[in-house]
Amino acid sequence: MAAAMETEQFPCVLTIQVPFPTARLASVALQSLQVDKELSPLVRRIFTITPSGSDAGAGANATPDQHKTLQVEYRATTNRMLRVAVNSFMESLNLVIEVMEHLDADVLAAEAHSS
Amino acid sequence: MAPLYALGCEGSANKLGIGVVSHDPATNKTRILSNVRHTFNSPPGTGFLPKDTAAHHRAHFVSVAREALKTAGLTSPKDLSCICYTRGPGMGAPLTSTAIGARTLALLWGLDMVGVNHCVGHIEMGRVITGADNPVVLYVSGGNTQVIAYAEQRYRIFGETLDIAVGNCIDRFARTLNIPNDPFPGYNVEQLAKKAFFEEDGVTKREPVLLDLPYAVKGMDCSFSGILGAADLLAAQMRKQDALLASGGTLKEGEERITPQDLCFTLQETVYAMLVEITERAMAHVGSKQVLVVGGVGCNERLQAMMGLMARDRGGSVYATDERFCIDNGIMIGLAGLLAWETGFRTPFEDSTCTQRFRTDDVHISWRSD
Repeated sequence: MAAAMETEQFPCVLTIQVPFPTARLASVALQSLQVDKELSPLVRRIFTITPSGSDAGAGANATPDQHKTLQVEYRATTNRMLRVAVNSFMESLNLVIEVMEHLDADVLAAEAHSS
Repeated sequence: MAPLYALGCEGSANKLGIGVVSHDPATNKTRILSNVRHTFNSPPGTGFLPKDTAAHHRAHFVSVAREALKTAGLTSPKDLSCICYTRGPGMGAPLTSTAIGARTLALLWGLDMVGVNHCVGHIEMGRVITGADNPVVLYVSGGNTQVIAYAEQRYRIFGETLDIAVGNCIDRFARTLNIPNDPFPGYNVEQLAKKAFFEEDGVTKREPVLLDLPYAVKGMDCSFSGILGAADLLAAQMRKQDALLASGGTLKEGEERITPQDLCFTLQETVYAMLVEITERAMAHVGSKQVLVVGGVGCNERLQAMMGLMARDRGGSVYATDERFCIDNGIMIGLAGLLAWETGFRTPFEDSTCTQRFRTDDVHISWRSD
């Protein structure tokens, strides 16, 4: 019943799947991004981490190491609200990935070693 | 015990600042290892909008953070004790963008997060740089105007603006006159105000004209929006004069010719006199002879000079810093955060959000016991 209400009030849905190279990075992205609450009451979102690609078939039997995909399901009252929320998410996601690429401890260590 | 290190990330307004600071709890010595800043400047006549400012901070976060680490020369980020970020007050979107970057760093490096009150950051930085141990603090910037004194582990607000911040008043007047925002509007207003004094070979040829502006001190508080409105009206009158003179007309008898220089001079003299007045009253209440000026407007030399005259009359002195520490930066956040961390303060990860409103006196100053 509650689920039906949700679908009725928030009919515009978009699910984004972001595969990461490791389970650790997927978890970092999830924790970084889910802290800030969605600003609009017209938008709902659910963050999960799922097994990715070839591991997806493992389903509930997937090992923690296989949980490498960040999945975000956005639901909004209108397409406009959905677009605004998803755009904002993408901008934040971009920053998180950039930080991972250039500032992770192993990246810095490798640079220090080569210079 | 070895010194502790912290990385501070500041992005509450149009400056993205990241820096590394160290503090030794045993000796209370503070050292600045790096202080990198990148400023978003909007074109003349416009202000910085939250959305564009947030995009700026996201675009420069990685390069500014990398430079801060490189300059600091830390061998590994694991040498840091914590990642400090500005929790508020400030603009929502720029604060959040910076917090997302800070959070990702803390997770990647396995470090604690410390959320810092921006105003407290300014105060602690000012105290360390100037050596003023227990001053009355005038905190003046584009977003805040407060007179503060410390008592029983809180920075107590004695007086504040009732509407806009003094820096906002000056910045917006700079927009009225179409003065560039680079390096920052207040600096350009200050330079123009200096030109109100016409000097040749060291002889003053013309005294600046102090035009008529309202003076709005209400008890310990100030108001700036009406002054801005009145200054804008004078600027409009000046443009009418420009048009009239350009078309070959003449001014009415006895009408003062208004110049941008006199306008800037008048605005500065008026608002700084107000700030000096409320600061002096706070010093009298508290019985303090030290006054510390922090925040972006605090690097204005005219304000420092006026404050200095008042403090000298009271047998005290003014403590101010230059633009490296006055203007928003990462190390002030790093320092205030590290002091809190040393007393056991942590911001739980799920609470590492931002807030646009965060009053100075909300923070428990656990690291001071005087």
